[in-house]
Amino acid sequence: MKGMGKIFLHEMKKIGKEKSLLFGFLVLPVITLLFTVGVTLLQPNTTKNDEAEAYVMYFYGMDVETLNVGMMDEKEIWIVSCEEEPEEFIDSSDFHHCDVLVDYSDIFNVKIYYYESDAVSSYLRMSAESFVRQSYESIYKDMKKNVSFREVEMEDIKKKDTSNLMIAMLLPYMLILPLTANISNFAADTVAGDKARGTFYQVMLSPVPPLSLIMGKILSVSVISLLSSAVYITLDVLGSRICEALHIKDAFGFSGVTVTVPQVLLILLYAVLLCYLFSNLGVLISLFCKDQNQAQVAQLPVTLMCTLASMLSMFRLGISPSSHYLIPVYNICLIFQDLLNARAKMDNMLLVALSLVILAAAVLVTTLLSYRNERVRA
Amino acid sequence: MIEIKNLKKTFRKNKVEAVRDVSLTINDGEIFALLGPNGAGKTTTMRMLSTLLSPTSGTICFDGRELDMEDVAVRRRIAFLTNEIRLDGQFTPDELAAYYGGLYEMTPEAIKENRDKLFDYFGITEFRGRRYDTFSTGMKQKTSLAICLLHDPDTIIFDEPTNGLDILTQHLIESYLLKLKEEGKCIILSTHILDLVSRMADRVGIIVDGRSVFCGTVPELPESQGVATVEEAFIKLYKENHEEKAILDKKERR
Repeated sequence: MKGMGKIFLHEMKKIGKEKSLLFGFLVLPVITLLFTVGVTLLQPNTTKNDEAEAYVMYFYGMDVETLNVGMMDEKEIWIVSCEEEPEEFIDSSDFHHCDVLVDYSDIFNVKIYYYESDAVSSYLRMSAESFVRQSYESIYKDMKKNVSFREVEMEDIKKKDTSNLMIAMLLPYMLILPLTANISNFAADTVAGDKARGTFYQVMLSPVPPLSLIMGKILSVSVISLLSSAVYITLDVLGSRICEALHIKDAFGFSGVTVTVPQVLLILLYAVLLCYLFSNLGVLISLFCKDQNQAQVAQLPVTLMCTLASMLSMFRLGISPSSHYLIPVYNICLIFQDLLNARAKMDNMLLVALSLVILAAAVLVTTLLSYRNERVRA
Repeated sequence: MIEIKNLKKTFRKNKVEAVRDVSLTINDGEIFALLGPNGAGKTTTMRMLSTLLSPTSGTICFDGRELDMEDVAVRRRIAFLTNEIRLDGQFTPDELAAYYGGLYEMTPEAIKENRDKLFDYFGITEFRGRRYDTFSTGMKQKTSLAICLLHDPDTIIFDEPTNGLDILTQHLIESYLLKLKEEGKCIILSTHILDLVSRMADRVGIIVDGRSVFCGTVPELPESQGVATVEEAFIKLYKENHEEKAILDKKERR
């Protein structure tokens, strides 16, 4: 692989020095950040908190009188007795994200269910906890027993198994859209652009073996596209967090997202594989094009199909297993979702990774064979 | 020494026979001019010589060794420069020298030595820190030439080396080519400027409609055609062979 590192570094420097390419790398993600915040500010109020007519602290297993205990954000706060089983009640449409459910069926093991989503839910949760403490102490005072208060168990329902649903649904799309767009742009520039500028031939004439030349180009396209996508996603999440911090609203339902280091590493691994496959395809297509525009147009069907596959994955129903092994992009999307929702199965993951590696290797061999083609070299 | 025998190139895409039958011998330490009208097949022949294209049939031998498209050893020995070949505009001549020298596995010391020598000769030294895309046409051509020669090749293939350049730059490049010849390098020039051929070339090859119709020394060219000048000889050879080819084509069609 002589010369691969030199070509890789040269390509990276070239992108760093080219302002038009940096536009795609940095400016577009910044526009996305502004777009995210803007859309969040402009979107209609459709969250569960807003649909609720009042904020409610439900009590299960304890007879409480229906009671108005104050106002918040121009909405009344009520204490209400709950008859339904906690599990069923949480899933019902009566229970909103801002509400709190206190399971008092076992006085020695009181549980408070809540959604950690915003300031309202935090306030209600703390109020419920305070109410439980007072009632607990009063019971023992009546019984004239001096006992210390036990901790009340808190359970964030969002963190239970739904905290990552929204990000799992959006991540494939958020990752694949900038990835394909960037790869299309960078691959078109690094190969077809070089051909049009006449700089490709100078490298072709050097004693660098074709594999090193092609791999140097593919790696530079992969790395720069991955970095660009990472900036893109980071700014997207940052936009959401800014909205949340400003108590505007939870822009994409990202609050309460819990992602572990192994999950991030696995997602990164699959993103690298996907990026490598796309870059291979981008370079292969660009080899046959005369200039950058032609290469971008030629790559458009691939970009569109990948974007479509990632969009389709957003409509995946239930937790169906990843069984579409012949559609690599769709599979990757499902793997991303499974990883974030902690449902990923080892055999599925291995199969998808293997299929990507085989496909990328096949494309690389085709690219190397195409490199000898007179349409590429003439 | 380069020996080209019965070289043929047919482009598969449009079935164009760019080179039909070219046989030439080019010796070390000489300037060999390749002449021919537009579309005669000179550039395609040069691309095959530089390993960019593979021949459909026929052979090219470098010192008795048959050339292969992926022949890395031969690529180390040759330099190919045309007007179509450019360098990355974002980089300075220094950066380009470091990159291309690295691709030829030159040591940093060798890169520095050759770069300084070439940059000084072509007057690039004071512009070495400026981006290539800010240069004038002449300066770009000189920089391309310097980078192209950085690895000290034995065989230098130039397609229209002084095309579109001012007199001073032309003179500078011509002088350097003569210097390279004195060093024993083999220089192959493709040009339309017959005056340049008369002044510089030792031997000349003429290609008409993809066929080599003459290969010999410059004085032999007018002598063989019974005319006084290289220009007259070239026109005579072109007319004879172009007409001959047209008759052959008609016969083939029948």
